Amino acid sequence: MAVGAILRTVKQAVWVGWKVETNWADPLVFAIYYLIRPVAGLLIVGFIFLIGSAVSGIVDPGLFAFLFIGNTFFIYAVQVMMLMSMLIHEDRAHYEVLKHIYLTPGSLQWYIVGRALNGVMNASVSLLLTLGLGVAVFQYGMGIPIPIDWLSIDFGVLSLGLLVGVVCFMAIGFILCGINIMTSKVQFMLPEYVSGILYLFGGVVFLPEILPLWGQYISNALPVTYFLRIVRFSFLHQAGFDMHTNLLYLTVTTILTAFAGLAFFRVAMFKARRDGLIDKKEEY
Amino acid sequence: MNREELIHNLKAVYARLWVRIKGGNREPEWLAAEVVIPVITLSAYVFLYKMVKAPPEYAGFVIIGGTMMAFWSNVLWNMSAQFYWEKETGNLEVYLVAPISRMAILLGMALGGFVNTALRATAVFVAGILIFQVPIALYEPLTALLIFFLTIGALYALGMMFASLFMLYGREAWHTANLLQEPIQFLSGTYYPTTSQVVPQTIQLLSSLIPLTFGLDGIRRVAILGQGIGDVWLNIVALVIFVLVLLPLARFALGFMENLGKKEGRLTLRWQ
Repeated sequence: MAVGAILRTVKQAVWVGWKVETNWADPLVFAIYYLIRPVAGLLIVGFIFLIGSAVSGIVDPGLFAFLFIGNTFFIYAVQVMMLMSMLIHEDRAHYEVLKHIYLTPGSLQWYIVGRALNGVMNASVSLLLTLGLGVAVFQYGMGIPIPIDWLSIDFGVLSLGLLVGVVCFMAIGFILCGINIMTSKVQFMLPEYVSGILYLFGGVVFLPEILPLWGQYISNALPVTYFLRIVRFSFLHQAGFDMHTNLLYLTVTTILTAFAGLAFFRVAMFKARRDGLIDKKEEY
Repeated sequence: MNREELIHNLKAVYARLWVRIKGGNREPEWLAAEVVIPVITLSAYVFLYKMVKAPPEYAGFVIIGGTMMAFWSNVLWNMSAQFYWEKETGNLEVYLVAPISRMAILLGMALGGFVNTALRATAVFVAGILIFQVPIALYEPLTALLIFFLTIGALYALGMMFASLFMLYGREAWHTANLLQEPIQFLSGTYYPTTSQVVPQTIQLLSSLIPLTFGLDGIRRVAILGQGIGDVWLNIVALVIFVLVLLPLARFALGFMENLGKKEGRLTLRWQ
């Protein structure tokens, strides 16, 4: 497929995704919707931390910054995987357009990439709003000192980490798409399972060292752990943090995930075509 | 309502209950997901409490919150949003032309949903208690059960009220149901006590508008902190008021929204 055709497909998919995701509400309601859930999620973990710390008598602002950044940037994992898991079900059973997309010369794969990029855009909006409101509530509203120097963020490291991390989440999303093309029963639970496991073992809101040893092994194998470490480093500049090794781990685990995701998706599409699943409409 | 109508409606309740129980338990993977996913989520919050060295009863607070959240999710997705799904699949019009009360259908859904969710919630509770070795100090189980059932009554009455709103919704239904998850978990103190001094008064005030807040607080105090009915009677009064207010409101809202839907021609409109 020519590069121009790929870019056109991706562009159209981003546009379709934007329309599907946003035109159910006016822009203000849409913005509130994309703000409220992540902010509420951040407030939940923030209050757990503050209440737990108040009871134990130990308040560590460094740990608060750890969970603040981890929970906020985890938005990318949740939104990209949620979107990609529901995509096949919605386009096949609800809007009944998957068969038409499959028939067009543009590749379904690039269409999915475009839709996922739309999810990344929406997640970025959520992220910025959540960061702003989180700082306003916790730092200025409740007086919790968040030890982040907002003027010294390392945007180079942050961009690199985000780029590789997003590719990784999209690769996991392809696995979810592949599973959903073969079954109509698990589209709601899959992203919950995957994001739940990543949330628990990925060092999102607590240090992975708190986990039992077997949990720490899982944590060390997950790309999201390295993604969040790199993102945190770009904000907190912790002394002794080996950025290059973590970036290498993130890149290697992302490449492996990407290969696995694309291979799984291709096999799933082959089976779907063979078994007549591409236009199979089921109501679950 | 005469005797014959009552029997008709009771049959409708039973029929909807049967479908809900049968449908909810026919897929083992759904059953597993509805137990495993909440346990994963609440585990993360328990570890967060462990990181800040909070006492073990806070893990108990999280587990009770996660257990009750199963009921809230059921109310949200299988009560409130149900009429939206029914509209999308073409069943809503069948309900509306049937010679039965809409409340009978909703009651059947609520009872069936309660049975299904109770199974899953019990599994989540037991798993959480066993995995994290949470100390239980339950001296008045009847008080705990009373608070639990009042909370369930208030939640399902709220779900019935929302169902009328969702009946007219298109894609907003999905987004609205999503929107009522984390914010309600935050406000109701699903994973922490809202009575803590750390929680600002404005948030405590907003929390008191949600029946789940009183239910969670009451159950935690009775089951984890070992308190009795003398300590939680205010929670019980608040929950009774919620039930008495929400049920008639749900009935009114259902009639109002159905009429509005008929006037605007939106009851059978799909893919909005």
